[in-house]
Amino acid sequence: MQNTRKNHKRFFVPRKFFKFSTESQAALEFLSTYAWAFIVIAVTISSLYYFGVFDFGKYLPQTCIFPSQFKCLDFSLKPTEARIKLVNNIGEDVHVTSLQITNDATPPISCTAPATFDWAHETTQDIIFTSCSGGGYIPDVRVELKVSMSYYAVNTPSHPVHVISGKINAKVTSS
Amino acid sequence: MQKSHPAKAQSSLEYLLVVALTFAIIIPTSYLFYNYSKESSQQITDAQVTKLGRSIVDTAETIFYSGQGSKSTLELNMPDNIASAEIIDGKELVFNLTTTFGVSEIVFFSSVNMTTGSNCNANVCSLPQLASSGLKKVKIEAITKDSVSIDVI
Repeated sequence: MQNTRKNHKRFFVPRKFFKFSTESQAALEFLSTYAWAFIVIAVTISSLYYFGVFDFGKYLPQTCIFPSQFKCLDFSLKPTEARIKLVNNIGEDVHVTSLQITNDATPPISCTAPATFDWAHETTQDIIFTSCSGGGYIPDVRVELKVSMSYYAVNTPSHPVHVISGKINAKVTSS
Repeated sequence: MQKSHPAKAQSSLEYLLVVALTFAIIIPTSYLFYNYSKESSQQITDAQVTKLGRSIVDTAETIFYSGQGSKSTLELNMPDNIASAEIIDGKELVFNLTTTFGVSEIVFFSSVNMTTGSNCNANVCSLPQLASSGLKKVKIEAITKDSVSIDVI
């Protein structure tokens, strides 16, 4: 008897605790419901992001931007080549010394640049980068390419080399 | 009379749906307009530089053919993103324009010999005052019978 009473004393739980216990259980369940809701929302948003739903850039128009002195008239991005049609509006005959194409991908796109050439003023020139690979240059994917061109004016005595930069933001065609 | 719980829940849900729909429209639209305006601003800067560069060279040619001692002052509003301005070989007026996709040199060719009052090194004369944005007064003067001086005052 003595022993039983002792045990009872040992496991005696005050009323106050019962009250708190019930409240904390309710609170925990409430938070658990919210946690589930957060998990479901996070998974849904992650899935949508993974499938490119939030990539709003694809809704922008395809553009080819160069300085007006070498205006971009047309362009096309084929699976292994990038073509740009520029016009020489600078008012002088120039000699193009180098052309480069790159992008922000790691590793960046790699293409074979055209050879150097002379370019008379007020004429157009098709610039063709061949054997393009890497840098996410894949058919049906939208890419942003940075093109730079170095040239000098033929009639300037010391032939100082100038650089212009342009940008193409477009989708690579599948054929 | 107090509103019942389902009615409150419905109004809350409707409110949340309206807010969600508003966000779903505003966020993509803002992104698209921001990108579009960014590209437009680069084209505007290019157009501004082209206009003022052409204006400097045209005035230099006019002043040169007006004879020694002739001068004129241009008030030019320089845009942002111009890193430097220089005259090379007395023939090329070059503006270095910084864009999001690299540096572009906008070059203007003159049929008359251009120079600056100072800051000349070999065949390159720089115009550092033109490399900042804002309103600039550019004095163009036929200092000799062979050349026209371009200075920011």
